[in-house]
Amino acid sequence: MSSRPRPSPRRRTSGRAVSVWLIALLVALVATVQIRSEAEVERTLVGIDTTSLAFLIDDLHRANESLQAESADLAQRKTTLESGGSGAADQVLSDEAKHLRAVEGLVPVHGPGVVITIDATGLTALDLQDALNNLAVGGAEAMAVNDRRVVAGVPIEQNGGGVAIDGVFVAAPWTITAIGDSNRIAEVADAMTLQLRADRRVRQASYRIEADVPIKAVISEKPFVYAIGS
Amino acid sequence: MLSLVVVAVVALTTGFLVAGQVRARLLTPSNQVARYQALVRSVQDLEATNADIRGKIAALRAQIDALETEAAGRSAATQALRDQVADLRAHAGLTAMHGPGVEVRLANGVPGPDAGAQTGYLVNYQDVQDVVNLLFAQGAEGISVNGRRITPLTAYSGSAGQVIIDQGPPLSSPIKVTAVGDRNRMAAALDDSSALPDIRARQVQFQLHLIFVGSPDLQLPAYDSSLRIPHVVAS
Repeated sequence: MSSRPRPSPRRRTSGRAVSVWLIALLVALVATVQIRSEAEVERTLVGIDTTSLAFLIDDLHRANESLQAESADLAQRKTTLESGGSGAADQVLSDEAKHLRAVEGLVPVHGPGVVITIDATGLTALDLQDALNNLAVGGAEAMAVNDRRVVAGVPIEQNGGGVAIDGVFVAAPWTITAIGDSNRIAEVADAMTLQLRADRRVRQASYRIEADVPIKAVISEKPFVYAIGS
Repeated sequence: MLSLVVVAVVALTTGFLVAGQVRARLLTPSNQVARYQALVRSVQDLEATNADIRGKIAALRAQIDALETEAAGRSAATQALRDQVADLRAHAGLTAMHGPGVEVRLANGVPGPDAGAQTGYLVNYQDVQDVVNLLFAQGAEGISVNGRRITPLTAYSGSAGQVIIDQGPPLSSPIKVTAVGDRNRMAAALDDSSALPDIRARQVQFQLHLIFVGSPDLQLPAYDSSLRIPHVVAS
């Protein structure tokens, strides 16, 4: 009966070394996977975080809904023009002129909205521009400050110690009138007045929702001097 | 022999620790990546839809214009109305225009040493808003930002490093603001060191870029999005 050959000490040592190396290799592999996985997260998160992405998705949904509505309006206008004669064209053009005059602030307007009152000392033109932009982002479709109509392009500047809209000084308190979706604008107005009340320069900041807000102030259209239609 | 046992024990302990780590963290980043990628895909899909609808809007406006031109050719009254609307459209940014002006380029700077919580080196929507307001105050007659026309209803939003204008997709650095109007007046205002104080401060702190050049002829595209004001009634 032959006895099983005992592995030589050299072979035993080499077997253990292989096991240790295998374990080490496995550890290295797992560690590499782990590091690469985290690196992938880091790389893909560069520039924008998931919360911002979620807000962006919300904004894009809202934007696309608005674009769809515009597209539907234009398709309707095109159908009207295709189906009618000059009478239809006159109606379409008159309606568009009326709409664009309201967009550009050339005519008085009214509608649901909010009235915000801010009594403060030392607020600047940038503060007012930010406030009006926030309201516009929040759905304001027509705005006025102390009975001065404001649309994008109307200069709001620091004028000495005060703020001027289109060259006219607007003294505190500011009454900002905004027409649009009352619920959405009220949310913005609520956050804005809350923030303003924490500002040492502000004595009082409040808002009220109204079913029908009139904006009587209008802008005078300035003819183009430099721009040429393409 | 003892050393091999020690190595084996250390290796096993490391293995258990790694396994624990894998269970605790490896899956989480993988899920984070998947969730992040799903969000990115949603944004990309929505941006593609956004571009499609804007293209459709531009096409519809061109078709309407052609139909109105045809109708105006048949009636002097329609022609007069069309001229009025053409002028209103130009002021609303609905038609392309060109003329002398300035091009302002805004670009991200470099993060500061404690950049973890600071985003001051990134161009943000307030920077764009401030530049546009300055240019309008100095006689700009029309402005576009990275090819998006500014209108009377324009609003700016976004998060750090992202600029959203109206219903358009997010823009990021570099941002090019193109303004047609009184070129000398706009250039003088941009040269004024007291103008755009926040941007100037970040130019020093983060090397934020603000450069501009004048040009005898710049092109502005027509606005391709919505000007709807459903809650406003003309009195």
